[in-house]
Amino acid sequence: MVASGGKHCWCRAVKQITKSNFSAALQQIKAHIKDADFIAVSSQKTGDLSASSSHRYPWRRVLPIDVPETAYLKAKLAAETFELLQFAVCPFRFQGSKLVAFPYNFHLFPRDELNLGMPSYSFSCQSSFLTSMAREGFDFNVSIYDGISYLSRAQESIAKERTPTPLVYSSSSSPTPSVADSIFIGRIKSRVEHWRNACKDSRNMTDGSLAKSLRKLILGGEVYGSRPSLSIDVCSDRQVQLTLETVTHISDDLVPLVVLDKSVGPKSVRVVLTSSEEDKHLLMSEIQNLEEEQNLKVRGFREVIDLISSSHKPIIAYNCLHDFTFIHSKFISPLPPSLNEFMCSLRLVFSNIVDVNHLLKEIGPLRKAKNLPAALSYLKRQFFVPIDMEIPQPADGNSNKNHGHNVLRITRVFAKLSILLKIVPDCQTSLGRHTMAIEEYANIFYPTSNSVQETEADDVDFHMDNVRKISTDELIFMWGFRGGTSAAELKSHLRQTHFVFTEDFELRLVDNTCAVVVFQKSGSAEALLKEIGSGKTNSTAPSKMLSEGLKAAGYETYKKVCRLGLWEAELADSLESVTSDSSGDVVISSGEDASDIYWSSESMIDLNDL
Amino acid sequence: MRSRWLVSAFSRTLTLAFSRHVHRRRFSSATGVAVKKVTNSNFEPALEELRVRVREADFVAIDLEMTGIMSAPWRDAFEFDRSDVRYLKVKDSVEKFAVVQVGVCPFRWDGAKGSFIAHPHNFYVFPRKELPVDGPSYEFLCQTTSMDFLARYQFDFNACIHEGISYLSRAQEAEALQTLSSAYKDEFNDSLHNLEEHVEIPLLSTADLLFTERMKNRFHQWCDELIKSPAKNSPLEENSDSNKMQFRTVFFKMRPAVLLDGFSSHQLKLIQLVLRKHFKDLVYVRSVDENATWRKIVVYTDSEEDKASLRKEVQEDLLKTTGARVRSAVGFRHVIDLLTSEEKLIVGHNCFLDIAHIYCKFFGPLPSSMVEFALAVHKNLPRIIDTKHLLNSSHIIQYLMKRSSKSLSSAFSVLCPRVSSPSQHVASNSYVKVEVQADETGSCCFNSGAKHEAGYDAFMTGCVFAQACSHLGMKFELHSQSIDFSKNDKIQNYMNLLYPSWNSGTVIDLSTGMENPDSSYKRRYPQIVFSNIVLVWGFPSNIKPKDLKECVCKVFGRDSITSIFFLDSTAALIQFSKEELVNDFLILKYKLESNDDPISVLHPLAKLLEGGNTCAANYETYRDICSSSVSKVLFVDQAEAVGIRWKTKVENGSGETQKFASNTENAPGDGLPVVKQVTGKKNDPKRQSHHQVSCQDILDSLHASNSLFVKQVRST
Repeated sequence: MVASGGKHCWCRAVKQITKSNFSAALQQIKAHIKDADFIAVSSQKTGDLSASSSHRYPWRRVLPIDVPETAYLKAKLAAETFELLQFAVCPFRFQGSKLVAFPYNFHLFPRDELNLGMPSYSFSCQSSFLTSMAREGFDFNVSIYDGISYLSRAQESIAKERTPTPLVYSSSSSPTPSVADSIFIGRIKSRVEHWRNACKDSRNMTDGSLAKSLRKLILGGEVYGSRPSLSIDVCSDRQVQLTLETVTHISDDLVPLVVLDKSVGPKSVRVVLTSSEEDKHLLMSEIQNLEEEQNLKVRGFREVIDLISSSHKPIIAYNCLHDFTFIHSKFISPLPPSLNEFMCSLRLVFSNIVDVNHLLKEIGPLRKAKNLPAALSYLKRQFFVPIDMEIPQPADGNSNKNHGHNVLRITRVFAKLSILLKIVPDCQTSLGRHTMAIEEYANIFYPTSNSVQETEADDVDFHMDNVRKISTDELIFMWGFRGGTSAAELKSHLRQTHFVFTEDFELRLVDNTCAVVVFQKSGSAEALLKEIGSGKTNSTAPSKMLSEGLKAAGYETYKKVCRLGLWEAELADSLESVTSDSSGDVVISSGEDASDIYWSSESMIDLNDL
Repeated sequence: MRSRWLVSAFSRTLTLAFSRHVHRRRFSSATGVAVKKVTNSNFEPALEELRVRVREADFVAIDLEMTGIMSAPWRDAFEFDRSDVRYLKVKDSVEKFAVVQVGVCPFRWDGAKGSFIAHPHNFYVFPRKELPVDGPSYEFLCQTTSMDFLARYQFDFNACIHEGISYLSRAQEAEALQTLSSAYKDEFNDSLHNLEEHVEIPLLSTADLLFTERMKNRFHQWCDELIKSPAKNSPLEENSDSNKMQFRTVFFKMRPAVLLDGFSSHQLKLIQLVLRKHFKDLVYVRSVDENATWRKIVVYTDSEEDKASLRKEVQEDLLKTTGARVRSAVGFRHVIDLLTSEEKLIVGHNCFLDIAHIYCKFFGPLPSSMVEFALAVHKNLPRIIDTKHLLNSSHIIQYLMKRSSKSLSSAFSVLCPRVSSPSQHVASNSYVKVEVQADETGSCCFNSGAKHEAGYDAFMTGCVFAQACSHLGMKFELHSQSIDFSKNDKIQNYMNLLYPSWNSGTVIDLSTGMENPDSSYKRRYPQIVFSNIVLVWGFPSNIKPKDLKECVCKVFGRDSITSIFFLDSTAALIQFSKEELVNDFLILKYKLESNDDPISVLHPLAKLLEGGNTCAANYETYRDICSSSVSKVLFVDQAEAVGIRWKTKVENGSGETQKFASNTENAPGDGLPVVKQVTGKKNDPKRQSHHQVSCQDILDSLHASNSLFVKQVRST
């Protein structure tokens, strides 16, 4: 029953959830979330632009040259392109030195359950992702046949407008009725009373089936479940209100339900006749259940997200920017155009998100841990942090499905880090003097150029790269050179074209068509861009550069490319269309909004390193 | 040993067959047609067998299953699509979606038996990335409804993704060979002349320094060992020396070497650095072993010449293995190559999209125009028959089909009752007999065919084709052996004629690239004149076709509109009765937007312009938007993503274009010159209908008009 400690035991302890066992699991996880201190989440996607395997559009990955804003825009693109296939949730709590965790892995598929073209009309897959999932034994049939569907909050409100469901309306007091109103009321009243009496009558009679159906035909009565009902057509909200009032005045055993038409609004009021007070309660609870069932069908997996959101528990994730752009776009609403708006919108739903990646930065040597396994192995080697993990829920019968174990890895790394950093959950803050509230670490995201899914392969080591801070002002993008030129060739070529290149500078290829140049001396970049922009030539050199078709632009242009969403296959094309749009003006970044990026000569992609 | 059985007789002997074959075959559904399932694991033998079957065959039926059809709802095929637009939509679909299953079913006429012999094959394909080069198909789109559809028909996604056969198109193969071989060449040149570049790796951390020192010592030790006792250097002795600091000596190309195992890429870089700095006679080599994995080896060479010859040997090795790897990565394309090289008659049902997929996935990128595409297909697949066209244009078959649905499965059950439901006793002898053949050996991979499974659909298509030929008067019985369909003048009429889409109302002749109206097609809309069409999008969401019509008719008169078609809830095509009305409408719209007086507000058209996001342009813009590789679900978002920042585009007769952003800065009078110019020049209907305005024309006109209307042109 209890799987603890050994790595191999936990994999099987992750509860696999599909459509068939979803509603049962929902009740369980509700309780577990309530008791938990933290909730760890992780997800599996059909593709990822930041994946190192994505060679198709190398510049669309999150690169070391990206500032948070552009990193967000790239993450946004990924979230809008790809789909979630699995979502693992693990509520856990500390019990002394023990960690009690309840891992669940939900299989998702964006099936159009309501025939509304939602949640997603189409999605992209990267075959390398699917292949690596297949290697781990992922069952695609389970996901696609039985995956749980969902709608985002925004989509739910659209769906509500379009799918008619009978609703119990609360009648509000209305202004004094007009003449037309009183005629309407009179008509409704007599019709309903007549029908009600007929129904009551017919109970006593033992008619033949023919007579029964004839009566039904004449009275216009229908059946709601096992109870007789009558539909009254209405054409405005006012009439709905009047009908509701009238019906409730006639008798207590009548329950009016409003039927909405697709997109138009209320279509009719359905009056249901109940036989007694108990029967009325029964009907009301039936309707309530129906509504909940419908909601579950509409929201699907999002119920879990809503549970997490309303619990206000700290959420633990790795590579948060990336994961939460997915969560926001799939379960909340379409992603806003800027990072600030995204963070605001996200905070309204999840008040407290902790990026494990950020915590790793707090421990010096872990700063460079490129992925979770690397961090785990480092922690194991360097620190003695005994953690006893207990997973009380019974393991699944089918033991070969070990998906979603990444969430346990996150849980474990977090547990170790929280002990090292002396982070404790809110409720225990008063216990020790040297403790830090979790809030100190919340809602700080680090854009990373690595994704969790890609890390299994090799290289569990630290890259000792010399990261240094450089300003985006010192950086320019160059394109227009012959495709297939190597960085070294380009560098030596540039040295001859302009005097700014005689000083020391660094050059990397972003993709086949575009290079990024970092100047050591501040002001060089600006000077060069100004010169190109003005078309004035101090020497003959830049004109030589330009006549060769070489072009340059500052960081602002790159930002604009990302902001406008010009995700052309090649960065040069995107830069070109932005610069040509602004009538040939090369945008020069003004000092104020320049930001710093961490430039490392190692982690920059290298096309020759295939 | 082979077992043959007549499909028509099959179900009658079902119990018998079960008792005999139950351990080999699973017949889950009722069709009872054995379809061979081919995945990675049995591809090689299946391909060899298929070669024989195709060579013998009289025709080969094909069918494809894809991950989707349309990347957005408005990308669906409409009657309002001009030929070029229709091709753009097919092109978009083909470039975005993946093929997951290919059904190939060779049919051979057996004169002695008086029956066709069919061999249905169901290939699972998946664009797996097997080579470290880029390919356009490694990222593909899935349409949610299509995936759901496949799931409903029990498509095995696991078989597809876990074991699907990968492929390279001809273009990809050539590119892969080139890039891989040049990459290896570069690597060697790099290691020779880029020495100074590499030395720059800075040794900053102590760990790095320690590691390089340790490596230096270990390599020194190893070299010393080699030189001291070259004779005694046996692996056994090495093992007995249990010191883990020692390298294990292996032999590479007859030279002593060390296998570098368990080092990270960073450490390998450091090792390379150490070797280059301190060891003249050690060479770092990457090679591919039998299991296609990379091995990193340090090899000892006795001289510079030896070093050079080693490099050459390794390079040749790499080239050889590259060739082999690329060949094996070609995978499923071998099947397509087989079909083209044998030049067999290809039969498909409504197969234009299938053929386009085959072209894009296995030959190369799709050409930019329909004509080029048709001719390129014709060059590779010279004889194709579309059974859909065949069924629709033959009166006899139309009579037989009566009112039944035109889908493949209904055609199959009406035309081939003896094959589709063998249990029914069908007396008539007019039915063509079809026998499915499966070999006993390796029959574990046979599944019973089911509807919407590519292999079975291909089989149905072939049966329908054979039966249709018989109805057209072909007498198979007269042939003792192979039948040449292309020699038959009745069939000749249908050769290479395909429907570009189900509602195009045209057929395309692949041999000429010409598109002609299809007489059997019944139009749902009045005759479409593309130059009379205005594209409107971004209008308020409560405007329905009725409102739109009312709104426009109020301004231009009762019979000004021929038809209105909604692309989706955000965009519509309005066909006017007269061509002038297109420009009249666009100019009026522009004027109403730039004026903010009460007349504009009360104008009947104002309802359409509510919200201020309504854009309008002529049919060419529709084409341009379709040609973009972006696909947003709503047309409005698509137009924005394509980069349209103007709100009205007026094109006059000479191909001159004006775009209006309708900024409030525009002085009201600005609109006047446009009207003048438009009315001043006569429309050239030939050009308008032919729509081919060259880039230069547009540029010229922009220059010309720039000088006139500098103020109006806003391109934010």
